[in-house]
Amino acid sequence: MSISKKIILLGHFGVGKSSLIRRFVEDTFTDNYKVTIGVHILKKEVNISKEETVSLIIWDLEGNDDITNTRPSYMLGTSGIIYVFDLSRPATYKQLENDINYIKTNYPNTPVKVVGNKKDLVTKDFLKENNDVFKPFVDFFTSAKANTKVNDLFSTLAKELIL
Amino acid sequence: MLAEHKIVHQKAIYQYLTTDNKGLVLESDDTFFANIQSQNIIALHPFFYSITNLLDTKKEEEFLFSCIHLDTDNKNIIADITLKTFAKENPLLIIQDLTTHYNNYQLTAQKRNESVINSQILELKNKYLIEKEEFKNTFIANFSHEIREPLSGISTFVDILKKTNLNTEQADYLNIIKTSSNHLKHMIEDILDISKIEVGKLNLLEESFNTTAFLEEIIFTYKVKAKEKGLDFNNNIEEKLPNFLLGDPYRLKQILSNLLDNAIKYTKKGSITLDVSLNQIRANKANIHFEIKDTGIGIEEENFENIFTSFSQINQNQQNKGTGLGLAIVKSLVELMHGNIAIQSDFNKGTSISFNLSFKLDGSSKKEKVKTISVEKKEKEKYNVLLVEHSEITQLSVLKILAAQKRFFLDIVSNPEDVIPTLKNQKIDIILMDINLPNKTGDTLAQEIRQLPEKELKKIPILALTGKLFPEDLKRYKKAKINDVIRKPFDEKSLLKTIHKYLK
Ligand SMILES: Nc1nc2c(ncn2[C@@H]2O[C@H](COP(=O)(O)OP(=O)(O)OP(=O)(O)O)[C@@H](O)[C@H]2O)c(=O)[nH]1
Ligand SMILES: [Mg+2]
Repeated sequence: MSISKKIILLGHFGVGKSSLIRRFVEDTFTDNYKVTIGVHILKKEVNISKEETVSLIIWDLEGNDDITNTRPSYMLGTSGIIYVFDLSRPATYKQLENDINYIKTNYPNTPVKVVGNKKDLVTKDFLKENNDVFKPFVDFFTSAKANTKVNDLFSTLAKELIL
Repeated sequence: MLAEHKIVHQKAIYQYLTTDNKGLVLESDDTFFANIQSQNIIALHPFFYSITNLLDTKKEEEFLFSCIHLDTDNKNIIADITLKTFAKENPLLIIQDLTTHYNNYQLTAQKRNESVINSQILELKNKYLIEKEEFKNTFIANFSHEIREPLSGISTFVDILKKTNLNTEQADYLNIIKTSSNHLKHMIEDILDISKIEVGKLNLLEESFNTTAFLEEIIFTYKVKAKEKGLDFNNNIEEKLPNFLLGDPYRLKQILSNLLDNAIKYTKKGSITLDVSLNQIRANKANIHFEIKDTGIGIEEENFENIFTSFSQINQNQQNKGTGLGLAIVKSLVELMHGNIAIQSDFNKGTSISFNLSFKLDGSSKKEKVKTISVEKKEKEKYNVLLVEHSEITQLSVLKILAAQKRFFLDIVSNPEDVIPTLKNQKIDIILMDINLPNKTGDTLAQEIRQLPEKELKKIPILALTGKLFPEDLKRYKKAKINDVIRKPFDEKSLLKTIHKYLK
């Protein structure tokens, strides 16, 4: 039996948390937005190497524009965190630094991946111009729609979890 | 009876189960997950994985996990799950089905989130559009300034060339060049005006003007223009109009000229009429009605709005060329003067455009103030003019104009560093200063001159030569104690007129 690890996805509503998971788990995408309430929990096996696999128990949380409102019980037993924001909506990354500091202070030994999603909606120039805003924090620029870096994101985190 | 009703109607919304400290189910009812005795809860749903390490606490504790989506054997539910641990007993799990409640909440959340996201996207779009618009206007404003310089060169040299020996054919060609460059100049002025208006940088003057003289000049000009096209020009000017008004006569003239030019342009036969009447005088302000009527092609009602927007020309045909900005400028200027423009038109019969404007009365000027600037000789015979200018075209233009006067020695310096040494070595009567100099702006240089220790040097009149005439530019020139501004593109008259003002 492979080991199981719980990871959770945090971020403002509508940034694409559910879409990233759907892309990763089912390899599908929809433009329709169905707001997540509470939490959906999914499981997916990830091959780390030829021999090793990890069962990711993925918690897809309800979006929240104030990270401090996250229900603490959801966080119990979390091994990894993915923080997602929406590159096309500045309101979702205005508090980026604060939010990340909050996560790092409250869950100090938990690996965190910071993700700018909906990369398909912004230009290269936009990313360059905002390099100062994103560079210090962002680990992955993803697109659930275009399937950019989604597998990378989850498998990188999975590998860190079993170190 | 009640008990029977209860059995029919009461839905089971709870499942209770106890497990050992590893998650093995000891006792359970079958509400959602059925027949699960001696299974591990981890197998029921991935949710339970994350609570297995809480089962072994051996303390009295309670954990609430709310709004968990569970796919169960019977149905998919949204539940609150409570875990109770005890010091001595086995842990208890209570699953409470709250699907209906949470589905209602989902609808609310859906609406709220969608509307927040839409308004954020709208805000972004607006911001983007505003930035684009600002960029466009600034670009146009700067670009128009740049065009003025070479255009000014063409204008000046056409005038100079005119005075040489030309045969009739050459003179005709030259006239065409002159007309074309004038036309180009007007279009650039239009574009510049509209971009200034749109970025809110057009400021109105408040100066006294003689109402009758002002209107007479316009009437005279347009009588001639109408006649050239075989049209009648009528005017009804009310006699009771105040003699002197305070306002911006240049912009008022621009409004009337644009409207009259337009009326003539779109009228093939018949007449053009200018009506000016007094609505009322109240609180020391005169409200005046202006109306321009023509018997031209008219405008269809659905186009009334369009004709006042930038870059629109309803009648896009070759003869009616122009920027199409005339009416947009008129509308913006009238609005800037707190008026409202109204249009009436019968297609193929004619158009009437009217507006009311308020002007302060100028009680102080009972008599016409005549400022005459004599272009005639002053006492001194020859003057030394220092031109600080980088552009060769402008250098040549000034040289030609001044040389023709035979009363000026012209010194030209193109590097700002050379200016102060030149002033110290030579007697200079007047400085013509370009503002866009390499390495240093003209106004900075002017400031340096004003701070020189030599009394006679720091008082030399400095006239700026520039196309940069935004209010903040003018402020800078004033601060640098620049005496006057000669607007680029300049012609012979405007250059000499300003220079003569400062000759001693
Ligand atoms: N263009 C584009 N749209 C995306 C992408 N990811 C998600 N979306 C869209 O964004 C909207 C929101 O996506 P979700 O995945 O539901 O977002 P969420 O973060 O789960 O939202 P909450 O559950 O409310 O917190 C949907 O309409 C998606 O189709 C992406 O990479 N590119
Ligand atoms: Mg979601």
